[in-house]
Amino acid sequence: MLTLSALRKAYRTETVETTALDAIDLQIDAGEFVAIMGPSGCGKSTLLNIIGLLDRPSAGSYTLEGREVSRLTEGALTDIRKRRIGFIFQNFNLIDELTVRENVELALLYHGISASERRTRVDRVLDKVGIAHRAGHRPSQLSGGQQQRVAVARAVVAEPPLILADEPTGNLDTAHGEEVMRMLRSLNEEGATIVMVTHSPAHADYAGRVVNMLDGRVLLETRRAA
Amino acid sequence: MLQNYLITGLRALSRNRAFALINILGLAIGMAACILLLLFVRYEMSYDQWLPGHDRAFQVQTFNNDPENGRNDAMQMSAYAVGRALKKDFPEVEKVAYVGQGRPVVLQNGVATTAPVLMADPDFIDIVQLPLVLGDRSTAMKDPFSLLLTESEAARRFPGVNPIGKTLSMVRNGKTIDYHVTGILKDLPKNTHLAVTMLVPYSMSAVGQPEAFYTRFGWNGGYNYLRLRPGVSFADLAPRMAAWEKRNIAPQNFGGAMVSEGDNVDWKLTPLADIHLGKADGAALVPTNDPKAIATFALVALLILAMACINITNLSTARAGQRAREVALRKVMGASRRQLIVQFLGESLVVAVLAMLVALAIVELSLPLLSKFLNADLSMQYLGAQGVLLPVIALVLGVGVLAGLYPAFVLSRFDPAPVLKSNRSGSDTQGSGRLRSLLVVAQFAVSIALTICTAVVAAQTFYARSADAGYNRDGLLQVTGIGRKQITPVADSLVDAVARVPGVIGVGRTTIGVNTDSKINTTVRISGNPRPIELGNYNVDTGFFGAMGLSPIAGRLFDRANPRDDGRVSLAEQPGEAEQLAFAARGMNIVLNVEAVRKLGFGTPAQAIGKTISLAAVDEKYGLVPATVIGVVPDVRLRSFRDPYEPIMYIYDRSYLSEMIVRMKAGEAGGVRDRVQAVWQRYAPQVPFEAQFADDIVRAQYDADEARATTFAAFAGLAIVVACLGLYGLASFTAERRTREIGIRKVLGARDRDIVRLLVWQFSRPVLIANIIAWPVAWWLMRDWLNGFSARIDLGPQWFIGAGAMAALIAAATIIGHALKVARSSPALALRYE
Repeated sequence: MLTLSALRKAYRTETVETTALDAIDLQIDAGEFVAIMGPSGCGKSTLLNIIGLLDRPSAGSYTLEGREVSRLTEGALTDIRKRRIGFIFQNFNLIDELTVRENVELALLYHGISASERRTRVDRVLDKVGIAHRAGHRPSQLSGGQQQRVAVARAVVAEPPLILADEPTGNLDTAHGEEVMRMLRSLNEEGATIVMVTHSPAHADYAGRVVNMLDGRVLLETRRAA
Repeated sequence: MLQNYLITGLRALSRNRAFALINILGLAIGMAACILLLLFVRYEMSYDQWLPGHDRAFQVQTFNNDPENGRNDAMQMSAYAVGRALKKDFPEVEKVAYVGQGRPVVLQNGVATTAPVLMADPDFIDIVQLPLVLGDRSTAMKDPFSLLLTESEAARRFPGVNPIGKTLSMVRNGKTIDYHVTGILKDLPKNTHLAVTMLVPYSMSAVGQPEAFYTRFGWNGGYNYLRLRPGVSFADLAPRMAAWEKRNIAPQNFGGAMVSEGDNVDWKLTPLADIHLGKADGAALVPTNDPKAIATFALVALLILAMACINITNLSTARAGQRAREVALRKVMGASRRQLIVQFLGESLVVAVLAMLVALAIVELSLPLLSKFLNADLSMQYLGAQGVLLPVIALVLGVGVLAGLYPAFVLSRFDPAPVLKSNRSGSDTQGSGRLRSLLVVAQFAVSIALTICTAVVAAQTFYARSADAGYNRDGLLQVTGIGRKQITPVADSLVDAVARVPGVIGVGRTTIGVNTDSKINTTVRISGNPRPIELGNYNVDTGFFGAMGLSPIAGRLFDRANPRDDGRVSLAEQPGEAEQLAFAARGMNIVLNVEAVRKLGFGTPAQAIGKTISLAAVDEKYGLVPATVIGVVPDVRLRSFRDPYEPIMYIYDRSYLSEMIVRMKAGEAGGVRDRVQAVWQRYAPQVPFEAQFADDIVRAQYDADEARATTFAAFAGLAIVVACLGLYGLASFTAERRTREIGIRKVLGARDRDIVRLLVWQFSRPVLIANIIAWPVAWWLMRDWLNGFSARIDLGPQWFIGAGAMAALIAAATIIGHALKVARSSPALALRYE
């Protein structure tokens, strides 16, 4: 699915250069469910942003589905992102001014899909995550767990092969957290590749492989037998 | 405490420089525009108020109101007899003075020039107390040959010497009269209805008008000024005027109908200070101004200022979120709501003070330019009775409070707990966003309406200058002064000699000419109609129509060989009884224009040929003279495009013709003009050659209109700038506020142009809605304005669509920078946790 080799990311301010990622080598195969763990500030989110093409590496190479993407133009990245990658965030990142249905539809809006087709697909996915009865509500009227289900629906509605989740359960209570994890597992079972950043060892157990990071480096990889 | 407010206010400004710049600059432009326009408005309203004793001095004005003929106008002139009769009948009238104006030939050191000279009864300088630099007001005009000059005229004519006692000769009614300087007038400022450089006592013999000029109430050739006794209000006289008219003006038998010169005419006393913006705009010494135009300027001033205030309100509420934390902390520390309101009002006052300083600098720099451009004496002093210091302070306070009030209430309303807990403002309530949209819509509605009005005014002005007036202006030269007594003996041979000049195609003489002051009306009768009809009555010679390029629509033009075409009663200056009787028996021929045919009810031009009307061409006791229509010529616009076509009766009468019209070969006009001048100087060396091309006359005619239109356009442009500054500020804050949303959209695959389109559309929408408000208002205003023109452009959709599109484009251009910046930003940055 994707290969990172000798990947480096540094942030520079006027006075200091901070290395967020250093010499990352990582390969993720199609259909894998990978959890990335590590203390705050170890570079998990930066890594996820680079994998999601939201950020560029300072050095090194990143091959996504056989294509070197680290030097593509912004427009090409946008195009890959919208077709191949779905995102789930800790703080959901739903737009308050739009309804649940419109928030999910947003992920199809830039694909040139007809309105009726969009509607069918949005309804189907809302049904799947069990939030169809709330389709006309605003995000602020939903509980955290319901909001994250909407976010999951939005991430998968365009049927991307790669789903990136940045602490998807971080803002949820245990019951809702488990619910989201079960949802991710079933997506993985349907064939999606999932990369998830998490703090919770229990939720990391859902993954087939756990990557532990510290200070911008990969410390340890643990594979679990399926 | 106050110091703390001031420091926070200044720091709040410096923290966001762009915000501060938009607020201060926008408000400065608004204030400067407002001050400039209001200075102009005050100037226009200041006319003649500087004259000592102006509150007791009046001009007698003539108001025509003839519902049957649709005539409703007024002029500053009144007949000589009117002033005398008012003095005789009203004891309240202390003094009266008649003033005539002329442009005699002035001889000095053997050089003949023409110059405007006022002739006035000696009491004139007592009623209208023009300031004297030298001489004694009570005696300066007692001598019939005394002469008053303005300072600059004296300095020009008698440089370096004491002008008192010096002699200046003027040719009056063919006779040379020597005048002696007895006084020097201070140069008049521009804000007066009078135009005076030279003033001499009125003398009937020097003017040379017939006796009827002094006895008739309908013969308007000058101005009456009067002073009321102290304590008398001119309102007291008004109700007694109708009876006064009846008592003084006897009805006359006009071909069987009893008519009076007081029919449909009222005389009104107008205080000197009210003349400039008054209704009477006819025969003005200095062009008057329309009070509606002045009110419009004042309105535009306030609108621009209001738009700048809206910017402050909008930007302050838009960035309220940024300051929510400060407000919350102040509240936690124990600040009361009142204290917070005071603080935020203080901040907007700081902005207002800074803006005013910038505005005053702008005014100081631009006032001389505007003043020159509008041909006005605009000035600004800070102190004194006319000082702007107090109004400026009031404006700063007013604007500061007005612009700051709403934001102060919004900002001080925040509940501290949720703000501090969530770190999200929660402040940008639905309500304030809607109010902002509403205010932006209002700003653009005003801008668009102003743009439409500007475009229409400019188009109409251009149209009036360039449109077909019914005659060809190319190579048409108008020479004035051919009617002077000194020329009369050689006038015919002079015209013949000019006709022979190579390059001259046609020469004619007339009393109407291109945009002259000459306006001569006469009443005529047609059989079967008991009411007399008023027609313009202008003399021409046989060359006139040819020189103007006018061909008859029906019938024929005047022919020298046809004795009945000649409308001259006799060759003698005062025709005798026998000549008048013979003329009345013989009758005469006339040429009408199309409008006169319509007014007389003669049907088509062809049907008018051979019809007869009666007119008073000889003394009434010999009866009316029958005049037969021999030809009809097209209507031409010789005066302003504001005026409707004049119904005109042309008479072939060479006894008095004031203008010579010379048609030249196209492309050779300049050289031909010099040759015509040479001929003139050979035949009439004692009269200066005064000639103007018709093109130049017409251009000058609309100079003031154009200056006003341009000024209006400039201020409309400023209004748009202020509106766009506000939009720019709003766009930047909204872009900031929506960074997260846009980040999400980008993560989900939105391209840069999707984001740009989203933002541009969001800000274009209020502009589009503004059109819906602006269009009907502008249509209504401009229809009304255009109705003041007899010939006018169509109020088509292009003005409205064009102005709307322009505003939308400008708005889009204003915000596209922000939109691009936001669209290009990295989504990862946008989504970094708040």
